[in-house]
This record gives sequence, C-alpha cells and structure tokens, in this order.
Amino acid sequence: MTEKPAELTVDAVLAITDPGEVDRDQHGVLDRLMINVGNVVAWAFPLLMLAIVAQVFLRGNGYNQAWLDDAQWWIYGFAMLTAFGYAITTSSHVRVDIFHEHYSPEKKARIEVFALGWLLLPFLGVMFDTMFHYAVASVVAGEGSDSPNGLHRLYLLKASMPVLFALCCLAAYAVMIRNLRVYSAITLPRVIVAMLPMAIFMAWRLVEYVLYWGIYLTNDDIKARRIIREPIFDYALWIAIALVAALFIFGLVRNRSQAKG
Amino acid sequence: MQLLSLINFLTLNEWLVLVIFLTFIVMLFRGIPVAYALVGVSLVFIVIAMFVLDPAKDAIREYIEYDDTRISFKKLAATSGRFFGGVIKNPVLVALPMFIFMGLMLDQSGVAQRMMKSMQVLFGALRGGLALSVMLIGIILAASTGVIGASVVLLGVMGLPAMMEQNYSKPIATGTIAASGTLGILIPPSIMLVIMSDQLSISLGDLFMGALFPGLLLGALYITFIVVYGLISPASMPVPKNREPVTGKVIAEVALSVMPPMALILVVLGSIFFGFATPTEASGLGALGAMLLAIINRRLTFTVFKDVMRQTLNTSGYIVGIFIAANFFAYVLRLYGGDETIKHMIAGSFDNPYMIVVFILFIVFLLGFLLDWIEITLIIMPLVLPVVLGLELAVDGFGVVDDPQIVWFAILVAVTLQTSFLTPPVGFALFYLKGVCPPGVNLGHIYKGVIPFVLLQLMGLFIVFEFPWLVTWLPAIAYAN
Repeated sequence: MTEKPAELTVDAVLAITDPGEVDRDQHGVLDRLMINVGNVVAWAFPLLMLAIVAQVFLRGNGYNQAWLDDAQWWIYGFAMLTAFGYAITTSSHVRVDIFHEHYSPEKKARIEVFALGWLLLPFLGVMFDTMFHYAVASVVAGEGSDSPNGLHRLYLLKASMPVLFALCCLAAYAVMIRNLRVYSAITLPRVIVAMLPMAIFMAWRLVEYVLYWGIYLTNDDIKARRIIREPIFDYALWIAIALVAALFIFGLVRNRSQAKG
Repeated sequence: MQLLSLINFLTLNEWLVLVIFLTFIVMLFRGIPVAYALVGVSLVFIVIAMFVLDPAKDAIREYIEYDDTRISFKKLAATSGRFFGGVIKNPVLVALPMFIFMGLMLDQSGVAQRMMKSMQVLFGALRGGLALSVMLIGIILAASTGVIGASVVLLGVMGLPAMMEQNYSKPIATGTIAASGTLGILIPPSIMLVIMSDQLSISLGDLFMGALFPGLLLGALYITFIVVYGLISPASMPVPKNREPVTGKVIAEVALSVMPPMALILVVLGSIFFGFATPTEASGLGALGAMLLAIINRRLTFTVFKDVMRQTLNTSGYIVGIFIAANFFAYVLRLYGGDETIKHMIAGSFDNPYMIVVFILFIVFLLGFLLDWIEITLIIMPLVLPVVLGLELAVDGFGVVDDPQIVWFAILVAVTLQTSFLTPPVGFALFYLKGVCPPGVNLGHIYKGVIPFVLLQLMGLFIVFEFPWLVTWLPAIAYAN
C-alpha cells in the first residue's frame, strides 16, 4: 500500500487517471515513446467496439461482412501486444506483494532490475528473434486470410509483431535503467551486468547473423541451408561471450580513465 | 549410492518439475511480477536443459531415469506460432478488452453513486436495509468490474461510512462488503469466465449462462442471512431514528437508478441467451451501452473517455502479460514432461472421481491465498483440464451442452476462488477492504465479519457440487431456443 489518498470519497475512488502520466517526471525518451504509442493504440478499443457493433447490425440485416470478423481480432491482437509493453512502462504487471510492499525502495529497485534485465528482457529478445523469422516467412509467402472474403494481407499483422516486441524491449530497457539509477550510477559495465543474459543473447544472435551473411556473400556456390552447419558456428556463442566481456572491460577501463582525468 | 536411492523414487524430470515450481514460487515471494517470473523460470530451465542436462544425458541415465527435452534454439521458433495462434489469433478473447472497457465506463457513468443514494433512502428504514443495499449494488455492479479489488474498494467507500453512521456492528458491515465485492468474479459478464472459457476450450455462452444461477444462489444466501441475522440480533443493525418516509417518489427514484445498469446487463446476457449475439458481440454491445449511460448521465467528457481507453490498455496489458508468459511456461513445462507428471499426480491421488475434483478445488483454494484469479486460471487450469476431462462424472448436459462436466467444474473453481479471496488470514478482498476502512475498524472486525459469509460460500459450493443441473440447465435451455 502506498500512502492513503487524503480523502476517501466515492468520487475519489471512482476517479479515473491516465496511467501514462504517473511518475512522468522520471520518464525518459524511451518511456515516453512507449506511452505515446500506447496512447495512439488505445483508440483501438472504441474502434473495436464500433467494428463489433457494426457487424452485429449488418449481420442482423443480412449483410454479413467476413472482413469485419477478421478485423476484430486484428485490432484486438495488435492492441494487446502494445498493451503488454505499455504495462511494462507503467509497472502494472501483477505481483504478489505480501513481502514486497515492506521492502526498502533500494531493494525494490534491485528486484526490478533483476526481473527486467535477467528474466523479461531475454524473453523479449527470444520472442523478437523468433517472431522476426515467423514474420519474414509470412511476408515471403504473402499469407492471407482463412476466409475468402476476409482481410487478406495477414502478413501485415504478422510483420507488426516483431516491431511491437522490439518496442517492448525498449520499454523494458528504459524501466530497468530507471530502477538502476535508484541505487547506482549508470555506467556501461553496470548496465551490462544488469542485463547480462540479454547482452550475451544479443551478441550471440549478432555474431550468428554476421557469420551467416559473411559466408553467404563471400561464397557463391554454398547453399543457404548448409551455411549454418559450418564449423565456425560451434564457436559463435563463445565469440559472443568474449565480445560482451571485451565490452565490459572496455567500459571499466574508460570509467577509470575518466575518473582520473 | 545411499543418497541416490533416496532420490531415485522420482525420475529426474519429476524432480525438475518440482524445482521449476519451487523456483517460480521463490521468485513470486520476492515480489517479481508474475509474468516476468514465469518467462524467466522457463528460460533458465531451457538453458539448463540445452547446455547441461541434454549433453550429459547418457551419464545421467546411469543414475536416474531421465527423458531428455531435445530442446534447441531452432526448436524455440515453435513459440512464435504458439504465441500468434494462442494469444493473438483468438476471436474469443476479443471480448476481454471490451468487457474491461465496459466496466471502466460503467464506473464513470455515475450509476453506482445514484443507486447508493436512492437505495439508502428506501431501505434505510428497514432493519438491515443498508446491508441489503450494499449487497444488491454489489450484485448489479458485479457486471461492471470483475476485478476483485476494484469492487471491494468501491463498495467499501460507498457503504461503510453510512453503515458506521447507523451504528451497524463492525463485523457485519465489513463482512457484507467483502462478500458482495467478490461476487463480481462469478456473476456474468465476468472477465474471469472469458479467460476460463479460452483455457478450458468451452463455450463462453455456456459459462455465462451456467454461472448465472450459482451467482444468484449465493446472492440469495447472503440476503437471507442478513434478514435472519437482523431478526435474531437487532442491535447489530439498528434502524435510524429520524428516517425519511418512503413515498412513491423514493421508490420511483430507486427504480430509475437501478434500471439503466440492469437493462445493460439484460442486453448483454439476453442477447447471448436468445442467440441474437455471440459473447464477443455482446461485449461490444455492452461497451457501447455503458458509454451511452455515461453520456446520458452527462459524465462523459473527452478526458474521461481518453482515460478510460488508456486504463483499458493498461488493464489488458497486465492480463495479457500473464497470458503470454503462461503460454511460454506451458511450452517449457511440456518439454520436461511436466504436464504428464502433474496429470498422473492428480489423477492418481484418489480413486473416486469426485474426490479428485474436491482435491483440485482444495488446491485452488490454497493457491487463492497467494495468487489472483488471473494467474490461477492461466497456469493451473490448463494443467488440470486433461484430468477433469478423463473423469467419469455424472453431469447432465441435457444433450445440448458440450463438455457439461467442464462447465460445471469451471463454475466450481470460480466459487472456490471467491471463497478463497474471502478467507482469513490472507484473503485478497479483506486486504483491499482494510485499505479503505475508516479509523476504528480493524482487521479483527473484518476477519470476524467474513466467517458467516465463508460458511455461506461453502454451503453454496456444496449445493452446486451436489446439484450440477444448477449450472447446466440454463445453457441447455438457451441452446434449445
């Protein structure tokens, strides 16, 4: 429980607030980006309501519009994934707070950094990566609707998914930095430690993609599906870990020299 | 080797499933958001399987039975299809944000304040009248919220000061509010039932219709209790001395204030009952209706409209967060064979199928102390579904309801959760109520006050358990139309 509101009246309890405005003074650029995208996407709900009501009356009068059925879950799906990111920025995701509410602000911030950097961010990274391939496959195939009169170009919706996951990544990163600031200065080594699994994962994917395209572009005769079996890929993870370690040491050295100078 | 024989009675997979759940629980108690903890635990155990267990599977098998997960990064790509098919391409869940929107809009429309004001005058003259007003408003507004905290807080702020002024006994006043506030998760249109229908793959219309009688039954039990208790112990609910006379005008005002929200609920449930609309369509109509109510009462400014949209986004966000996370968690649990492990554990617990249902309900009851309904329906329901499907229970679907025993089971879980949220020492409803109590009312009063209601809940649960037709009859009629 945070501090009690000054007066507990019915109107005060029912009064509605804008979740994006809470703690606005602490928001950074990325937080505002997520909130503003959310504010635009929030219009999806009245739109969804209109789509549903329109379909009810059109169908009742014998003008069934199959594309409206598709439109409903398109709007819903797009809004829901945006909502996921929005709730990250507003720190609204449900938690068990029997013990949590008694923790000191610093301990709360440390837990939040761990939860975001070590648990959530790697997941968002994995989802971004797999959704990206999923979307590419859909775009290449020009995937359409199940229904002949439905909304075609399903690939557009699928292509929006990795974009939204990337946005969620940025939102989670921004909240993590906000919490990190509570108990520590923001320096490169600290940020790397705070999100170590995500850093290694990103470096690993980066190394794999660079290797893949490097081999693909320099060898004319190699088949695309064979590239991944090249022996170098067995070491990709180790290269990635070495890269992150190098970045960490670079950050340490730079901090030290800055402190001296 | 001595030690190994001790751990050998479970396979390594079963041990790991235990460890997965333990890790998850530890994370929860540290205050890590449920969604983050779920995905985090899943990732940790993917990494462990990929880099430790699977490469060493032959060595491990010399000591303990182990079925490898065969997970690889390439295989993780399956999660994208699961995510898109399960969370995004899900026409049933379209109703979820619409009902959230409807509830928030209804809160803003001022109907609650108007009902309280008018009912206070009408029932104020009766013994226990205030308690009855709170209860009726709780039942009617159950449609609007479905989020336990919100309805308990609202009813507490509306009803408690008035009851204290009339010198109601504190336990009775607080018990009434806590109990009526939890009805929201059961009485349709409840967002919990929307999620249940998705997780249990049953028709949402069936669930809504099935929940109606049990919900009203509980409401009736509560009301009977208040009336009888008022007769036995008049001192606990004194009648005010200078009461306003009940005139036709007062009655008309009550009718006028109750009618709009009742009409809205009738539109939503009626359109489903008569097959005019699917539940998703009813949710859209309900959202529009709530908006019209707010416009008629001159409460809908642009700022309110904007904030309702954004709150809808936020609430949808934390619900869908657990959706996405539970979807991923279930995938990883299946890799370890966790779903089979749990199925065998529950299915093998008792011989009598009804005892198995009771056993599951008991677990749900215990979990309700810690977790909100969102987590329980999303994590536990899919795990127990195959067990319940396999049980031989005599639940009559009257030939028209698909999976009648699942519908019945879902309603039992809903009533159990409601009971759990009311039960001291750690019921959700009690803590929310404590937050809005005026000085002089303490947790002790609340604990004492909810005891009779917990007993009534158990009675309701028992009745629904004994007479499954209470659940399945209405959906059967609806489809016979």
